[in-house]
Order: sequence, then structure tokens, then C-alpha cells
Amino acid sequence: MSEPPEQPDPDPFEGGPEYCAYTDYEAGDAADGLPATGEGATGVEAAVWRRLHEVEDPEMPISVVDLGLIYGLTVEGGHATVTMTLTYTGCPARDYLQEDVRRAAAAAEGVETATVELVWSPEWNVEMVTDDGKADLREFGVSV
Amino acid sequence: MVATEELSDRERAAVEAELRTLADDEFVVAERYTEWQVRGPTLEADIAIANIAQDELGHARLWYDLLEAFGYDQVDLIWERDPDDFRHATLVELPFEDGDWADCVVRGYLYDTHEHLRLQALEDSAYVPIADRVGKVRGEEHYHREHAQNWLERLAESREGRERVQGAVDRLFPHALTLFERTDHEEAIVDTGVRPEPIADLRAEWRDIVSGFLAGLGVEVPVESAEELLPEARGRNGIHTEVWRSLYDEFTFTYRQLGRSEAPSLMPAPEEADVDV
Repeated sequence: MSEPPEQPDPDPFEGGPEYCAYTDYEAGDAADGLPATGEGATGVEAAVWRRLHEVEDPEMPISVVDLGLIYGLTVEGGHATVTMTLTYTGCPARDYLQEDVRRAAAAAEGVETATVELVWSPEWNVEMVTDDGKADLREFGVSV
Repeated sequence: MVATEELSDRERAAVEAELRTLADDEFVVAERYTEWQVRGPTLEADIAIANIAQDELGHARLWYDLLEAFGYDQVDLIWERDPDDFRHATLVELPFEDGDWADCVVRGYLYDTHEHLRLQALEDSAYVPIADRVGKVRGEEHYHREHAQNWLERLAESREGRERVQGAVDRLFPHALTLFERTDHEEAIVDTGVRPEPIADLRAEWRDIVSGFLAGLGVEVPVESAEELLPEARGRNGIHTEVWRSLYDEFTFTYRQLGRSEAPSLMPAPEEADVDV
């Protein structure tokens, strides 16, 4: 009688190289009410949101609003206060991006001055990207 | 704890002291890590260490930002600060042994294990601006420890590698203990809840973790008491090793050479900016 056939190796790649764990971006949870996108805003606030929508991330063709970086906006007596976060603490474009957002807010009709406040909580994650933003990123070649 | 502008003098001193040690450690360790850029043993190691340095600079900035809420600016905090005012641990200022990658890896492991415990304790900080930043920072720290541990395991596989790790542990361990030295404000830091866990408790936890892990690799870790091991220069008390002055001169060199009196900005100040986008 012949020997029973050898069991096939259940994992032919066992012992081989492993995928780098860091190409796997964890999704995370969307925080309540975030990101702020200006949906339903009226008057001067709506005008500021339109301006903010025009500000693009310096590295990718996506609006900072659709990327989910903007956490809040208030306008009082001609002064706009934008609350925003960044995807990474070591972001080299921090000053640049913050200033772009500030200028955009200050340029809206009905606004005279603007300030930008950076916050780090809740932490940004890809769930903060809007559906429009995801479409923009996919078109750019980023898998989200 | 109350809002920043309503802190009592004691609370404010406690918050400031905790922030300065956090920020200075991160800034100086990043400064040293950059020396390995383009000199690491593999291209991937180069990229990883450069990335870790960038993370640590990002975290330093987050902590320095909070100090700015007390009225300091970047010039006060870095470029024109008296070098004797820095409060980083001496572990992060020491130069690397020439060409010794094990020194970099061991240092990263000892430092990041400490940072992990320290940040964990700060998650419950009564000073909300600190607690609010811890999550973001911790999320970016995880792979630092994994990177160091992977390299330690790899180095410990060969005799030469293990001897280099042992040499680095022998040299660096006493200086790593300075990460847990009390500042003059330790008592206030704990009882105001800025960091509810005393630094001495974190040290005990840290010693258990690093001693266990390194022993598992066949590396001996000193067992003497901290008091017996600690070097004279402990950083947290404003006393640094003799190399600190030259490192400080190096990172402030360009600022002085260009005759600056303020931190350069990428964009004009708001009052000078044309608001028409």
C-alpha cells in the first residue's frame, strides 16, 4: 500500500515575511456631531463655511472641511472663531494651514477678524472624513 | 481644577513644572535622534528614526503650546532660554556612542517605556488641557516602543549584538533613572492632581517592565537602589552633564547666526496680512 498523501501545508506562506502592520490604518469611531461641516448654517456663518470649504489640505486635493479638520465655528460681532484639529501632531504645515483657515474665515462677508483655535480632542480619525471627502481622496488614489 | 487664568500660584507652578519636563524631554530626545538620520543601519531604520524624531517634536510643540498659555513664547521657551533652565532628564542629552545603533535603540526603549507610563498617568490629569492632548500623543507613541523592542530582540540574537545592548544598558540605565527624578514641585503636582500618580510609583512600575523584558533577552539590568545608581547631573534639578551646553549651542546656532530676536514665521503676522484670499 502506498503512503497516505502528505497533508497539504495549511499556510504555504508560514514562516515567510509578514505584512508591515503600519500600512493598515485603523478606522476609529466617529465622534458625536463631528466633523462640523456647516450643514444648516445661515447668514454670516454660512458665508464663512463657504470660504472654509475652499481651503484645501496642502498635500491632497481635499477641502479641510471634508477632511474633517474643522470642529466648530462661531461668529460674534464680526469676529469668527474656528476650532480645528490636525491629523498629526508633527504636521509641518501646521502654521500654514492654520493661517489659511484664518484668512479664509476673515475674508467672508460680514466678518472682520478671525482666530483659529487648535484642539487635539476628540482625536481625528478617518471616520471624520465626509462622504464627499472620501470620494475626493479615492479619486486622488487614497484608499478610504 | 479651574481654568488656566484662575489657577492659584501653587497650581500654576505645578502645571508649569510638569509641562516643562514633558516638553524639554521630547524636544531634546528628538534633537539627538536626528543625528541618526541617513546613518542608520538600514534605509528603513533611517526612516523610522526620522519619523520618531518628528513625532517627538510634534509632541514637544503640543506641550510648549500649553506653556504659551502662561504668557511665554517660543523665544522664551527655546531659542533664548537659559540652558540651565531646561529640565529634561540627562538620558536624552547624552551623545550616542560613536556609530553604536544599540545605544540609540536602548535609549529609545528606556525613554518610550517611561513616556508610556507617564502619559497613562496624565490621562487622568485634573488640568484638562493636558488630559485633552494625551490621547492624541499616545496614539502616535505606540509604534515607538514596538520599534525599539523589535530591534532589541534582533540585536540580542547574536553575541556581539547582545554585548552592545549590554554596554548601552550599563551606560544609560543610571541616566534613565533621572526621568523619574522629582522636580521642586512634585508634591504640588500630585496633590493638585496635575499628575495623580507620584513619579516614584511610575519608576517602580518602569523598573519592573524594563528589567523583565531585558532579562528575557539575556541582558543584565542593575538591581541597586535608584539612590545608589543615579548620576550627579539629573537634569530635573537644572544640573546637566557637560555635553548639554554644546548641544544647546548647536540647536540655537542658526538663530544666533542670523541675528534673530523672534521665531521666524512662515506667514506674515495677522495685522500685516492681506485678508483678501
